[in-house]
Amino acid sequence: MKRIFTALAGIFISATDLFAQQDKIDVFPTVPYERFIVYQNLFIFWIGIIGLIVIIKMKLREIERIQKMGIDKEGKDIPVLD
Amino acid sequence: MNCPRLKSWFSERYNFDEIRDLAKQKFVPNHKYEIWYYTGGITLFLFIIQFITGIVLSFYYIPYFEHAHKSIIEIVTKLNMGWFFRSLHHWGAQIAIVMLFIHVWSTLLLKAYRKPREFIWVSGFILLGIAIFFGLSGYLLLWDERAFAAVRVATGGAGNFPVVGGFIKAFLRGGIDVTGDTLTRFYAFHVSVLPLITFCLIGLHVILVQYHGMSVPISVEKEKLKETPFFPNFVYKDLIIWLIVLGIVVTLATLAPPEIGKKADPLAPAPENIKPEWYFLFLFQTLKLFPGEILGMNGETIAILLISAGILFFFLIPFFDRKSQRGERSTLFTWIGIIYFLYFVIMTVIGFIS
Repeated sequence: MKRIFTALAGIFISATDLFAQQDKIDVFPTVPYERFIVYQNLFIFWIGIIGLIVIIKMKLREIERIQKMGIDKEGKDIPVLD
Repeated sequence: MNCPRLKSWFSERYNFDEIRDLAKQKFVPNHKYEIWYYTGGITLFLFIIQFITGIVLSFYYIPYFEHAHKSIIEIVTKLNMGWFFRSLHHWGAQIAIVMLFIHVWSTLLLKAYRKPREFIWVSGFILLGIAIFFGLSGYLLLWDERAFAAVRVATGGAGNFPVVGGFIKAFLRGGIDVTGDTLTRFYAFHVSVLPLITFCLIGLHVILVQYHGMSVPISVEKEKLKETPFFPNFVYKDLIIWLIVLGIVVTLATLAPPEIGKKADPLAPAPENIKPEWYFLFLFQTLKLFPGEILGMNGETIAILLISAGILFFFLIPFFDRKSQRGERSTLFTWIGIIYFLYFVIMTVIGFIS
C-alpha cells in the first residue's frame, strides 16, 4: 500500500511538469527592445526600397527621354579617343 | 564604378558586345495586357529568394526525425535572424505559388500557349507541379504534428491511384507509413532533386521565351503595337516590381512569422480539423464531395481519377485549342479557364472556412 501510494504521488508530482510546458514556441523576438529594433528596421527597409524605386524611375525617365530624342544609338563611325 | 583595366581584361577574352547586342535586339510589345508579362519575372525573383533562404536554413537544419523539429526551434529561437530567414522562406514559398497560379491563368486566358509556344506552357505547368511538391516536401521538414498528418493524407491520396498508386505511395514514403525515412527522403527531394529539375526547367522555359519572343494576345495582335526595348527599359520596370515584391515578402515575414506546432508523434492520432496547405484545399474539398463507395468501387479512387483527368486536360489545353492555334478567338477555352479558376477559388475558400 505504501509503495502504491509513493508511486501515485510520484506520478502526480511529475504530472505538474505538464503545466510548465510551453504552449507556443516563440517564433518572433520576445524582448520588447528587440521587437522595437525589428519594427524600426522594417521601416528603414521600406524607406530604402522607396528610395531605390525613385532612383530607378528617374533613371528610366532619363533613358526614355534620350530614346525619344533618338540619340541613344551608337554611331558606327564615331572616332574613338584612345 | 569604372574599371577600364578590368573591362579590357575581360573584353580581350570574351566578346561582351555580342551579348549586349543580343539584349538590345529583344523588344517587349506595349498593349493593355502587358502587366501580365511581369508575373513570370516576379515568380523567378521569388524562386531566387527561396534558393538563397533555403541555403541559409540548410546550414542549420538537421534532416533526422529525432532532431529535425528541435533544429527548427533552435534556428528560430537561438540563431541571430534565424526566425526571419525561416519566415522569409515560408512567405516566399506562399507568394511564389500564388504568382505561379496567376501566371498560369493569365497565360491561359490570354492564350499565350498557342502555336508555337506549346512547350513554354508545358515547361511552366511542370514547374507549377514541382513548386507544389516543393511546398509539400518542405512542409514535412518541420516535423510537427500538422505537417505529419497532412503528408500522411497527401501520400495516402496518391496511393489511391489505380495500378501505380501503391508504388507512388511507397516511393514517396520510403516505406508503408510516414516515418523518419520519409523525412530524409523529402529532404533529399527538397534540397537536391527538385532544385536540379527546377534549374533545368527554368532554363528551358526562359530560353524558349527568348526564342519565341513575348506572346501578344489575339485581340490586340492585329493592332499596330509599339515596342519597348527589353534592355534597359523593361529590366528597370522589372526591378521596380521586384523591389515592391521583396518589400511585401519581408513585411509579411516580419509581421506574420509562421507558427511551429508540437513535434510529430507517429503513434498519436491526427489533430482535429486537420487541413493541408491552402493550395491543396481544393483537392481536399473535392475528395470530401465523393462518398466512400460508388457502384461498388472505391469513391476516393474515382475522385482521384477524375481530378487527375481534370488536371491532365488543363495541362493539354494548348493541344486541344485548335482555334487559338489558327489565331482565332476561342471563347470556349476562355470559359474553361474561368470555370477552372472559379472552381479552384470557391473550393479553396470553402475548405478554408469549413
